[in-house]
Amino acid sequence: MLNRKVWVKRPGGSPTIVNVREDDMVDDVRDMALKKYQNALGRSYDAPDISIKVVPRHPRPRSLDHTPGRGYDSQLGERTLNPDETVIRVLDDYFPGGQSIDEALVIEVPPLPSVGRRTPRPSPHHGFGSHHDGHPGMESNDYFPPMPLTGYSQAPPTSSSQISLREPSIAVLTTGQVPNLPGSPGGTSRRNVRPGARRMQTSSPVVRPSPSEVRTSGDGPGVVLMPRQGRSRVNSDASNTAQPVQAPSIPTPTVEDNSQKASTPPARMSSPLAKKFKEKKQHTSPAGLLPDGAVPPINVLIVEDNVINLKLLEAFMKRLKVRWQSAMNGKEAVDKWRAGGFHLVLMDIQLPVMNGLDATKEIRRLERVNSIGAFSQSPSSSSQEDAPAVPDEDKLPNSILFKSPVIIVALTASSLQSDRHEALAAGCNDFLTKPVNFIWLERKVTEWGCMQALIDFDGWRKWKDFTKTENGGGNEGKDRKGFRNQRLITGQKGQNGEPKRLEEKSSLIPPIG
Amino acid sequence: MPSKDTDTTTTTKETATEERESYQPNYVLPIEKWDFIDYGTFEQILEMDDEDEERDFSRAIVHGFMEQAEQTFKEMRACLEKKDLTQLSSLGHFLKGSSATLGLTNVKDHCEKIQNFGLGRDETGTTNIEDPEVSLTGIRSALDEMTKEYERAKLHLTEYYEGPGNKQS
Repeated sequence: MLNRKVWVKRPGGSPTIVNVREDDMVDDVRDMALKKYQNALGRSYDAPDISIKVVPRHPRPRSLDHTPGRGYDSQLGERTLNPDETVIRVLDDYFPGGQSIDEALVIEVPPLPSVGRRTPRPSPHHGFGSHHDGHPGMESNDYFPPMPLTGYSQAPPTSSSQISLREPSIAVLTTGQVPNLPGSPGGTSRRNVRPGARRMQTSSPVVRPSPSEVRTSGDGPGVVLMPRQGRSRVNSDASNTAQPVQAPSIPTPTVEDNSQKASTPPARMSSPLAKKFKEKKQHTSPAGLLPDGAVPPINVLIVEDNVINLKLLEAFMKRLKVRWQSAMNGKEAVDKWRAGGFHLVLMDIQLPVMNGLDATKEIRRLERVNSIGAFSQSPSSSSQEDAPAVPDEDKLPNSILFKSPVIIVALTASSLQSDRHEALAAGCNDFLTKPVNFIWLERKVTEWGCMQALIDFDGWRKWKDFTKTENGGGNEGKDRKGFRNQRLITGQKGQNGEPKRLEEKSSLIPPIG
Repeated sequence: MPSKDTDTTTTTKETATEERESYQPNYVLPIEKWDFIDYGTFEQILEMDDEDEERDFSRAIVHGFMEQAEQTFKEMRACLEKKDLTQLSSLGHFLKGSSATLGLTNVKDHCEKIQNFGLGRDETGTTNIEDPEVSLTGIRSALDEMTKEYERAKLHLTEYYEGPGNKQS
């Protein structure tokens, strides 16, 4: 019995061979095809469901024709084969000289009518079971190693690896562990947008952005989000969705609700501008904000030499209800930072006296010599005993106010890639292009702020407890109404750079929209 | 950064309008259509006014910017006399920041040119210009252009805030 090899394929798929006997009919080939495509077809289709189509050589390029001498028979068009045709004969008619791989018979199936079953994919190559790969196996990284100075959460670094991935936890952030959060809504939606966290083995604050992580799409005029190795996103997600172990009363913000109600006050709905703005918000703030525009209790240092820009940024901070101070040049910025208590610096780059890059470098240097946060090689070596003596002029007066390295977001006037790299190399964590898009700025403040607030967990919990007492303990867990009460009276400058003890008022902010 | 396409479209539209009503100055156009301002950016400032009918916040910003711009123009002229390229570049950068913040794209672009010329490069900042006189000439013409752009923006913005029959919202 002579066997012939026949190429078959699914539309768009890669061809595969079935063995056909001299006298096999098309119907037999259907059986064989089902065996070949056990998963893609076999589970959903029976042999008679399948139709097999032949596509003639023409108009293929000559080079594919193995028998240039023999003419092409124009009678033979593309058609579906009848079940009772003899396969070999058909092939010999269509492909004199033999069937090449490019001439594979095409296996077609009707679309599945039932809802519950999975629709077979066109190609076995895009088969099932390719679950979007989460990124398990995140190892320890000293982005935010255990803080040596703080009195909270003394979990040893090793313990964090035991944290269940399904239960994202605050401890994650205090130990620098960033497991992926498969169950979190924020996480899933984000993962569609961007690739997962990319790990880079570096303990320096320098970020080399990969193109896929740079968001330059039309989301905002020239503003680029450059999260640190993609991890800020993960962190932000965690901060939005985490159910902390230590403090079960943390509200679980939902992602969708807040996009409209973010801290932008009710817009003039009658005006077209308002509508546009609103749409933009919906578009660009899918996540990352706390409900009802609550911004974490952070302290922002605005460094900007142009008074117009400064005024605007200040007004915006006021609107976000975060505390801020401002500095007009790099020197002033470093001085103010030294007083402590800042979580976030918005740093203009080109500044008089000392430019933003130098100021950033100086801040990073001082953080390093004072052993603040992430600059040690490994978490174990960051204990205070190992730290070299800090020269007096570099000593930070109030080390308790420096829980972690400050987040520095560069404000660059140019969109040149080189400038961004320079900013990141100097130790900035992130940047925004001027003119600053407020939606993006808000996201930066919220996201980085959330992270910082979580790192400063102790302080945050105090704030939390305080507000709880004030509100008669009414704020439990997911009670978002309760959370709404916890607006800070902020925006005032603290005296002498001391962070003001957080105050809050319990007046109910009326719902927007 | 508005795309070139949008700019062109707007300009064409405006030209058409102007041709039809040849004696109508184009500031009767709604602010969204002004071709010299990136409305999305300026809108952010307007948003800060909230419900304020008087638009005090954005008005203060705009007036602050006008003062700053006019002061900077003066300083630039003075620097041109002194042939102080470094200072010119720095002034260009300075005004670039605030004009960008207001969305005054054309003014911002000229600022950038001046900044580049002042650094001894061509207007796009890509190639070097060795001859300071060439740089100064470049700055002079950019400054002239920028002043024109600014005056136009000023006219419109003044009209927007102070002009009769301009109760927006």
